[in-house]
Amino acid sequence: MAVQSDVIDDAGPYDRAKALSAFKLGDVTFYWITRLSAISVLLILGGIIISLIVGAFPAMKEFGVSFLWTQRWAPSADPPVLGALGPMYGTLVTSFIAMLIAIPVGLGIAIFLTELCPQWLRRPIGMAIELLAGIPSIIYGMWGFFVLGPFLANTFQPFMIKIFDGVPVLGAIFAGPPSYLSLFNAALILAIMVLPFITSISVDVFKTVPPVLKEAAYGVGCTTWEVVRSVVIPYTRVGVIGGVMLALGRALGETMAVTFIIGNSFRISSSIFAPGTTISAAIASEFAESDGLHQSGLILLGLLLFVLTFFVLAAARLMLMRLEKKAGN
Amino acid sequence: MSDLSVSMSAAGGLPHAPVLPEAPPKVTVRNLNFYYGEHHALKNINLTLGANRVTAFIGPSGCGKSTLLRIFNRMYDLYPGQRATGQLMLDQTNILDGKLDLNLLRARVGMVFQKPTPFPMTIYENIAFGIRLYEKISKSEMDGRVEKALRGGALWNEVKDKLNASGLSLSGGQQQRLCIARTVAVRPEVILFDEPCSALDPISTAKVEELIQELSEDYTIAIVTHNMQQAARVSDKTAFMYLGELIEFDDTSKIFTSPTDRRTQDYITGRFG
Repeated sequence: MAVQSDVIDDAGPYDRAKALSAFKLGDVTFYWITRLSAISVLLILGGIIISLIVGAFPAMKEFGVSFLWTQRWAPSADPPVLGALGPMYGTLVTSFIAMLIAIPVGLGIAIFLTELCPQWLRRPIGMAIELLAGIPSIIYGMWGFFVLGPFLANTFQPFMIKIFDGVPVLGAIFAGPPSYLSLFNAALILAIMVLPFITSISVDVFKTVPPVLKEAAYGVGCTTWEVVRSVVIPYTRVGVIGGVMLALGRALGETMAVTFIIGNSFRISSSIFAPGTTISAAIASEFAESDGLHQSGLILLGLLLFVLTFFVLAAARLMLMRLEKKAGN
Repeated sequence: MSDLSVSMSAAGGLPHAPVLPEAPPKVTVRNLNFYYGEHHALKNINLTLGANRVTAFIGPSGCGKSTLLRIFNRMYDLYPGQRATGQLMLDQTNILDGKLDLNLLRARVGMVFQKPTPFPMTIYENIAFGIRLYEKISKSEMDGRVEKALRGGALWNEVKDKLNASGLSLSGGQQQRLCIARTVAVRPEVILFDEPCSALDPISTAKVEELIQELSEDYTIAIVTHNMQQAARVSDKTAFMYLGELIEFDDTSKIFTSPTDRRTQDYITGRFG
């Protein structure tokens, strides 16, 4: 008995120390796993940037900064001339129009769902929004090509062209002839694609507004519109803008659907009903059969998209910070 | 007298003020019933709020006092499945009338909530916002109205140098006084307080109570409170509610010294609730 208890007494502290050191090892391992995961993000990002720069270097050397404001894109000319102005213009314009449509509609849906919608209608609409987000972009592309494009070219485009004919500025923006493939069609498809991002994030953040805050606003006699405009949206603006940024990021980089319906023309036209191209559409449609300087030019386009997205998101951050300041925080 | 009211026990203490003469009725409640879906939450309530008087509603949690308060400005209308029957007159207007303009009603009947609810905007805008809903006035006039409202909310001296700071940057007690100022700015006739001090420290509570006293000179006030000393301190009349019924409604001094109903006495002496 005595011997046995001795053994236990000896074993006790020894085992505890061993167990503790095992825990410690687990902790250290855990720390390094999480740390490496975090570091890998930086490595991947850095790797992508470096390989883009390396790949784009020949084109950078050949065309210099003039790449940014050259409209001509003639890879098979002798010597080849490549300029990014057309794709950059197309990227910015389609994203801008897409956001112009998607932000009010998306917020409108979110406001309806959270403030006005009868209970029984909430689930069907909410589910439809989620399904919209789940549709692969190639399907949007096909639908845009076969259905939306012809429809717009036969109805909406002639209508707008006729209305604004002769009006300065607007007449140039909505100039004919109607086309199945155009910047506007691409922007509309983009708007539909990013709508679920804006709506579902807005719905989530609108739900975080304390009911008593809304009651207080109703309590001073606000209408639903005034409550939404002056209380709900200001209270949730950071979240809403986050959703808009996510949507904008997607719109800037969206490739497949846009490639289908934008027309892949490097010429810049003042009309949004004319065909155009975006950076990602240009890369997608030409990369497979490119080589040498042409390929390097496309990689440089990719780098530009990277930079463009970065600047747009940075500008959005800046805007957010100024909003915060204005609200007195 | 104020020392006495702070230190008195709930049952034996005397309210601060002498019994005021009976006031003309501002709000008259007749045979009011209220339902949350199937649940019968208020049963046959009859009472009046005297003009320029403070009426306190006390009772254990779930007795329906907040529910009653939320009928006075039809706040329950925001939620489906809630309905009221009976008659609720604000002067000559039936509040329960389905065709009533709710925004106008809520401008006449202001409300201050349990938790401070500053809007997500500057202090100045918090006040100007409500005024702007009903009146188009010049900037200088607005400045005057904002100052007056903030003075009315006993907050002016603390915020006059930072009117452009966010309403959310104030302390809890200041936020609550901002909400009171905001309510006053719209020039209502009746102000409803739903446990206005339950989230405040004792000093802020004292300030808000003092403010309620002052406001009763110009407004008809209804206050729901869990704090019986508070009811005794600020109110002229007190209503004791229990399980959706109005058990006793009388002068505050009478309720706290010689209640007629056994349940009222049990509640104010802390035997239940």
